[in-house]
Amino acid sequence: MTKLARNRAVIVGASVLGLLVVLGVAQSVLDRTADAQSKAAVQAPRFEVDPLWPKPMPNHWVLGQTIGVFVDPDDHVWIVHRSSSTLADQEKGIEKKTAELCCAGAPPVLEFDQAGNLLRHWGGPGQGYEWPDGNHGIFIDHKGNVWIGGNGGPDSHILKFTKDGKFLLQIGKKGARRKASAGAGNQEGQVAGFVGGSNDPMNFGRVAKVVVDPKANEAYVADGYLNKRVAVLDADTGKMKRYWGAYGNKPDDTPLPAYDPANKPAQQFYNPVHCADISVDRFIYVCDRVGDRLQVFTPEGKFVKEGFFGKTTKGSGAVWDIAFSKDPQQKYIFVPDGMNDIVRVIDRQTLQELTSFGDGGRQPGQFYGVHSIATDSKGNIYTTETWEGKRLQRFLYKGLGPVTKPHQGVVWPGSNATK
Amino acid sequence: MMKLAGNRTLVLGASVVALLVALGISQAVLDRSAAAQSKGAVQAPRFEVDPLWPKPLPNHWILGSTIGVWVDTDDHVWIIHRSSATLGNNEKTLETKQGECCAGAPPVLEFDADGNLLRHWGGPGQGYEWPDSNHGIFIDHKGNVWIGGNGGPDSQILKFTKDGKFLLQVGKKGARRKAGSGAGNQEGQVAGFVGGSNDQESFGRVAKIFVDAKANEAYIADGYLNKRVAVLDADTGKMKRYWGAYGNKPDDTPLPPYNPAAPPAQQFYNPVHCADMSVDRFIYVCDRVGDRLQVFTPEGKFVKEQWYEKNTLNAGSVWDIAFSKDAQQKYIFMADGVNEKVKIVDRQTLQELTSFGDGGRQPGQFYGVHSIAIDSKGNLYTTETYEGKRLQRFLYKGMASVTKENQGVVWPTRSTR
Repeated sequence: MTKLARNRAVIVGASVLGLLVVLGVAQSVLDRTADAQSKAAVQAPRFEVDPLWPKPMPNHWVLGQTIGVFVDPDDHVWIVHRSSSTLADQEKGIEKKTAELCCAGAPPVLEFDQAGNLLRHWGGPGQGYEWPDGNHGIFIDHKGNVWIGGNGGPDSHILKFTKDGKFLLQIGKKGARRKASAGAGNQEGQVAGFVGGSNDPMNFGRVAKVVVDPKANEAYVADGYLNKRVAVLDADTGKMKRYWGAYGNKPDDTPLPAYDPANKPAQQFYNPVHCADISVDRFIYVCDRVGDRLQVFTPEGKFVKEGFFGKTTKGSGAVWDIAFSKDPQQKYIFVPDGMNDIVRVIDRQTLQELTSFGDGGRQPGQFYGVHSIATDSKGNIYTTETWEGKRLQRFLYKGLGPVTKPHQGVVWPGSNATK
Repeated sequence: MMKLAGNRTLVLGASVVALLVALGISQAVLDRSAAAQSKGAVQAPRFEVDPLWPKPLPNHWILGSTIGVWVDTDDHVWIIHRSSATLGNNEKTLETKQGECCAGAPPVLEFDADGNLLRHWGGPGQGYEWPDSNHGIFIDHKGNVWIGGNGGPDSQILKFTKDGKFLLQVGKKGARRKAGSGAGNQEGQVAGFVGGSNDQESFGRVAKIFVDAKANEAYIADGYLNKRVAVLDADTGKMKRYWGAYGNKPDDTPLPPYNPAAPPAQQFYNPVHCADMSVDRFIYVCDRVGDRLQVFTPEGKFVKEQWYEKNTLNAGSVWDIAFSKDAQQKYIFMADGVNEKVKIVDRQTLQELTSFGDGGRQPGQFYGVHSIAIDSKGNLYTTETYEGKRLQRFLYKGMASVTKENQGVVWPTRSTR
């Protein structure tokens, strides 16, 4: 953990003590669970896709790559997507004036109610702030404000708006990661024109997601597609308070060799650092997407443990995002894997995968690039897809059930079984 | 109409008489419909998407651009798709060995009415030239499967049994390649290939085949490079006749881009995308980019034409058709993969009554709705190209009054939840 300003030794000490207590409790819970499991089948939450949610949008609007989802306390579902910039000409005929009846990119920020109706819709460039080239990730904080990151070429900033789309705060400057004298570039990763700066206390490097801890009023920034760190900010002022890399190491932007499951685990994050979410018991879960691993930290950045998932997965990796189950203990975590196109159901204490659902394809409950995940107050799951998936899907929570298969396949409503 | 070999004057004369009779009847029917419509609302078939059909494929198989659908006499649904050739590396990770999902399914797939996958086959083999880019599928009255192709060098069509046993190839792959040119693989009249719409042996990137059971003749929508309908003996593959737009002799001279304000082109645009026969033996030809449907006699005499969403540019509005299942085939269902609609057209008047669908990735939405077919119960099946890559079913819900020009996405009425 790299601490910024002031001496926080006392707080760190208290945190470590708290951690040890929690770990002890967790271990005893784990032991009891294991004991129970030896007598009965493992239980896990069950889901069924809701094939007719949300409702079709007005105005012949369509979604581009949909790279963020969050559910607010009213159980309204917020998504952010890349709209026209990720739609082919033949899909946006109204914009290109080649067709009159279909279609145009919807505004990037969309809010849906539980019935699937579109409510507010806004986003895009405006006065007083720099809209990202490739907006990425959405979060609604405890004050009801909307946070957005961005992973476009020059994106090195994050934005905060009201739910009505009124601009509140920009942290970091767009273009801060551009190399001196470099031309324009717009590729993900460490490409010509831009370079990581994971020790910059002012700007970011293509942020994937922002999550705000209401208790401490701190924003956790998954930073990112160019940087290799988690950064923690004062959620009101945006001032950076601390940051850390994999295992709590000081981040180092030296390019890593391609991920190889046979090698020893990399001591830095791969790009992108794709999520950094806090649990009820105040652990930070960080998605090292391409490294196929989830790393767990204290809020101060002390490494606790890690788990690997789909460890042989190459390309874009297996650990894309995380959502916690809605029970008070958050016993389960749900991790979308856009390369294997499944959602993994994981025991949060053991970090062991219990089961998974989904498969590739364009039908309901299938995925192409399942990218982001969120849960509502009833325990229903929402997923969004990037690439050519370009969807928001809902999976209804159907209670706990015994795990009978390591992989459940496509979870269609049960009535279909007899069709 | 370009007649090949033999003197058919007598047949032609008889056809013209039959045509005149048919036209007279059509007009009478039309008058009656108009009278009926002045008394009540227009009726049209109504549909609802079936969001959970077909069932997911085994083996983590997925569909590529899905560019053909037909329903056989057992109500089995046959599709053809482009599989791995049109899948991103991040979508076929079993093939690229980056992950465990997914792999392209075989190109020819058969589903039963419950949505179960039955036979699956297709691809290169002994004794025939598989197209670079297969396109269109049809099951004939003898139970055989016909396939076209619109890849760069594709100038042949293929016939197989339902089990995938090769039966017949008509035309040679590569026949349209310009002398001395290198390899090319682009659609349209591009470097390396040139249309040959008066060639009696080979084709020019065939979109679809339809076999007339009565005369045992195959109608070829020819195509993405040629600009004609060609008619073959369905057993021997010998070409019997062919024609261009308005029944003109086809001319491969490139046309200026389609412009709705200009006088109608006297030749077809590329692609000629369908050539299907109705029960009363008219041939309906999709001039996709020209936004028009042209109707001919089996001998190639022009009867009439109609435009749909005439301001549509780019890939055009008239992609494929299916006829309704009533004895008279009163309606035509037309896929439009630019406006993402299925149009419901009165077959006699060629007037659009209503349409359904919209763009998007949810059930009942489309991205590049390309092909359409109907089963014995009147249910519709659509396939999508581009990144749509789906087979969808729309259940026939009887006749209903037309209340909207466009119905939008036709979802089932859901119970209150």
